[in-house]
Amino acid sequence: MDLLSIRDLTVDFNTPEGIVRAVNGISFDVPKGKTVGLVGESGSGKSVTSLAAMGLIPNPPGKITGGQILFEGKDLVGASDEEMRKIRGNEISMIFQEPMSALNPVFKVGDQIAEVLMLHKGMNKKEAWQKAEELLHQVGIPDPKSSVQKYPHEMSGGQKQRVCIAIAIACEPKLLIADEPTTALDVTIQKQVLELMFDLQEKYKMGMLFITHDLSVIADIADDVVVMYRSNLVEKSDTKKIFTSAQHPYTKGLLACRPSLDKNPSRLLTVADFMDEQGNEIEVDPEKTKLASKPKQEHKDDDVLLEVNNLHTHFPIKGGLFGKTVDHFKAVNGVSFKVQRGKTLGLVGESGCGKTTLGRTILRLIEPTAGQVIYDGVDLTKLDKKQLREMRSRMQIIFQDPYSSLNPRMTIGETLLEPMDLHNIGANKKEKIDRAKWLMEKVGLSASQLSRYPHEFSGGQRQRICIARALAVNPDFIICDESVSALDVSVQAQVLNLLLDLQDEFGLTYIFISHDLSVVNFISDEVAVMNRGKIVELDKAFKVYHNPENDYTKSLLSAIPKGVPKELLEEGTR
Amino acid sequence: MSSTWNYIFRRVLYLIPVLLGVCFLIFFLFNVVAGDPTGILLGKHATASQMAELREQLGLNKPLIAQYFDVVKSAFTFDFGRSWATKQQISQMIAQGAIPSLSVTLPGFFLATVVSILLATIVAYFRGKGIDLFIRILTIAMMSISSLVYIMVFQWLFAFELGWFEISGFEYSFPEVMPYITLPIIIWIVLSLGPDTRFYRTLILDEMYQDYVRTARAKGVSEKKILLKHVLRNAMIPIITYTVVQLPFLLLGSILLESFFSIPGLGNMVINALNASDFPVLKAITVLSAVAYIVFTLVQDILYTVVDPRVKLK
Amino acid sequence: MDTADAIMTSDEKIEIESIKGRSLLGDAWQRLKKEKKAVLCLGIVLFYALIALLSWWGVIAADWGKEVGASYSPPSSEHWLGTDIFGRSVLQKVIHGTQIAMSVGLISSAIAIPIGVFFGAVAGYFGGWIDELVVWFYTTFSSVPQIMLLMSIAFILGKGITTVYIALGLTSWVGLARLIRGEVMKHKDRDYVQAAGSLGAGHGRKLFKHILPNVSHIVIIFTSLQFQVAIKSEVILSYLGLGVSGQPSWGTMIDDAKLELARDVWWQLAGATIAMFVVVLAFNILGDSLRDALDPKLKGKD
Repeated sequence: MDLLSIRDLTVDFNTPEGIVRAVNGISFDVPKGKTVGLVGESGSGKSVTSLAAMGLIPNPPGKITGGQILFEGKDLVGASDEEMRKIRGNEISMIFQEPMSALNPVFKVGDQIAEVLMLHKGMNKKEAWQKAEELLHQVGIPDPKSSVQKYPHEMSGGQKQRVCIAIAIACEPKLLIADEPTTALDVTIQKQVLELMFDLQEKYKMGMLFITHDLSVIADIADDVVVMYRSNLVEKSDTKKIFTSAQHPYTKGLLACRPSLDKNPSRLLTVADFMDEQGNEIEVDPEKTKLASKPKQEHKDDDVLLEVNNLHTHFPIKGGLFGKTVDHFKAVNGVSFKVQRGKTLGLVGESGCGKTTLGRTILRLIEPTAGQVIYDGVDLTKLDKKQLREMRSRMQIIFQDPYSSLNPRMTIGETLLEPMDLHNIGANKKEKIDRAKWLMEKVGLSASQLSRYPHEFSGGQRQRICIARALAVNPDFIICDESVSALDVSVQAQVLNLLLDLQDEFGLTYIFISHDLSVVNFISDEVAVMNRGKIVELDKAFKVYHNPENDYTKSLLSAIPKGVPKELLEEGTR
Repeated sequence: MSSTWNYIFRRVLYLIPVLLGVCFLIFFLFNVVAGDPTGILLGKHATASQMAELREQLGLNKPLIAQYFDVVKSAFTFDFGRSWATKQQISQMIAQGAIPSLSVTLPGFFLATVVSILLATIVAYFRGKGIDLFIRILTIAMMSISSLVYIMVFQWLFAFELGWFEISGFEYSFPEVMPYITLPIIIWIVLSLGPDTRFYRTLILDEMYQDYVRTARAKGVSEKKILLKHVLRNAMIPIITYTVVQLPFLLLGSILLESFFSIPGLGNMVINALNASDFPVLKAITVLSAVAYIVFTLVQDILYTVVDPRVKLK
Repeated sequence: MDTADAIMTSDEKIEIESIKGRSLLGDAWQRLKKEKKAVLCLGIVLFYALIALLSWWGVIAADWGKEVGASYSPPSSEHWLGTDIFGRSVLQKVIHGTQIAMSVGLISSAIAIPIGVFFGAVAGYFGGWIDELVVWFYTTFSSVPQIMLLMSIAFILGKGITTVYIALGLTSWVGLARLIRGEVMKHKDRDYVQAAGSLGAGHGRKLFKHILPNVSHIVIIFTSLQFQVAIKSEVILSYLGLGVSGQPSWGTMIDDAKLELARDVWWQLAGATIAMFVVVLAFNILGDSLRDALDPKLKGKD
């Protein structure tokens, strides 16, 4: 008997627009002591499935309308609240995505771990606190004796996730459900947390259901993989098989669309290349396959478009009695580099390294403290307001969050016309609208959608609109600030391809800022690695990835999930 | 810890510009816009010399800047001079009026707060169910009737018709005072219940949707315990700080209640001063209540640093 | 007219029109109409507004001052709400009072909104010392208890309806300014405003074209709630002798009742209270629904 067996599970949500089926009759098993990866993109129903197993579907609006959730043979669907409470946190426990908000801010960490022990193990307060200290030690929190006394806000994101793990394993559950536990963490922390989870799994022989949007994260840890797409289960198999001989076109697409570090293709294949809108398999265009296996061309010309010299951006830190500036936070601390015309410089680093500030300082959206930004022979830092405004038609930026980067009260048409109005592009309104239509088609959207509002579009479509807005002024230089990070992997690949197509067509120059090393590797000619306001390594992308010199770069690179099951990796080297 | 003291020190320093601003506002209203009150005070047949004499006496012939500093000085010394109407020391009048005012508002405020937190918690527990809907409709309906109507009808019904309480008056001794203040206290609670319950319900529900509640559920904690332990503990932070800034208004009492029940408190004093065009008294009460408000917002800010472990001071 | 405009076909004109957005009020209506109770409340408010307009034009209740019966005659088929001390029809007075109530809400909002939006937007957008100055200014204003401020302003300006308008308008902008400031601060850092900046938009365009339309729902919500606050405050001001004089308002009618109840004359109080209750309740529910529909984050979720 399997530890957890999900049989024909169906979950419906009652929304103002009618009943939405979030999970549609799926079945899979989590065997004792094994790890099952549940993979899917946003809206695939993977999180709802995990909440259903915990009996935590918010009702209303959600409801399990069919199927069984068998935990050690007992059906949890009909279980009473009382029964579920005894199981939750005790026999099945769960870790969530957002460690920042998952802990109660007004209770000490020790209290929050002790609570679950007192609840399920009948310990008294003293015993529970003792055990909490032990658990903190187990999850690798330094100095557990003083750490139990801390409040959550006194810990870093990675430490908070470790505390969540400590809470989850406190009662030595038989099943651990982890819902994207590392997505919100930096790549180096992600690696440590993953390692910790699997050490603990081995130690306690737990079954684990690991939910993620990223196949590569679970590649070398899951025994089985279940793939969900639009509320349905499309494929389940053991991990090795998924990676070597995926059956469903969606799975194939997912595997192909993720850039890897060892290859450097011209374009990525996307899910849409394997499957049509209705989910039917289609023949992959051989032209595209060719592009996906052909290495990217080396750009030859040697013409510097942008030169950054010893750039500094400091933010004052106020303190003391009268709020005087006592120190400076050096977000960008002496950065120099050059970008060649028509090429892409990748800027990579972990959160807080100053990469976003650097990008905005180059465009003078944030004023620099010192240094030069020479763009096509003009020092941007010396320009007055009017000159800078004129210059803005040549340099553009595309932001990370497609939901906040479009004005919700303006139609797409108004959004695209605004930059043309500002820079007098197009002789009259008719011409401008024609140009807007042309832009829409360039970014792969329909010209008839100009009268729509941003909320009527998906995340990927919005990002395309942002690209169209940036192109509206005919720029030759665009900064992409984490521009694909908020998108699902399959959409990510499409937008990356689009950026490359546009670069070829218009000879654009990019600075591509991202925390995701694989993406940066795919799109960039040169890569700069940033840490604590400084560039620690800058070279050709290939060189940085395969022969890094800096220790920080090395640690970053080693933390990236290989994206391939261990055995396959070993077979490959053999 | 020194950073906390730094913060408090800076916060206290900030009182100065606010206080000067408030004094200026009051000075502007009473000394500049309101103009010369001697005409009102002496009646139509006053002679010029009488008026000049009165102006001298009231300090109205001083330059404006000096009059402004008089207002500022009174905010620190609480020396507001004498009433034009009763010729009494105003500070003395205020000291006398504070007791009757507080004897109604303090118990009223305390009981109203306890009852509405209780109601809000119950309503939050049954959110979306019948009882929640019922209480929400009831509170919003209660808030749609003028407070004057409550006072009038309650006084007429319970004191006049049924004779359960005294219609008006006050005693300075306990328990003799009870028949006089019980009904005003009840009315105060009824008036506060609507807005308070709605507000606290919102604060509690805001917390109900936080991620840590989901974590607590995943631990197997019961809904009741989640509400009473996890949620309420968080919601108490805004609730406590909100109630603290209400305290200075208690000093002023309820102007309407005191007037209807002839309770000799500060609220009644305001009404009398209003009817007698007694500027110094009105000014004094305005200054005093503003100072109290400013001080209590300071207390509120400091309290935040005590009750909320997240508030880390720079 | 642009020459290009002149030679455009009507189809093209329609097309250009079609990229324009819906207005804010249109948007509010779109979202509100899904909720039955909100539509009902809006209907009630519009009905009151109609009554107020008709009475203002003198179509109805024009001769509220005429003696129509004996002093204090109770409600009858002839006088549905009875008569007052001078034998005037209470129903006519209630109708005339609608005009006062609605105008108090409207004009006090019209005074408070420009002040509140201006200070809130300027402080939130520019930040720095401008923000500190504005915050100091409204902290000062809100440090004086509202009732005292209301009384001082009313007292200084003297009795009358204008005083009620101004006093209520000047004492209610602070809350609006605070809300607008907070929202503008949030939106200022949103990427769409940054994007406008990177396209070369100046402060004026960023503030007026991008940020303000996105925070203007607060003004709609504020107006709905300001009406009910103003209508209730008018009663208090009337009791304090600082309200409307020379014509009937709900406030003066309720105030009159303090001498009438002891004589078992309840109809004037009941008439004014019920008239007021219905419209204030409607504004309350409408305000809540608007808040839920336009900005669920401003308040708790249900």
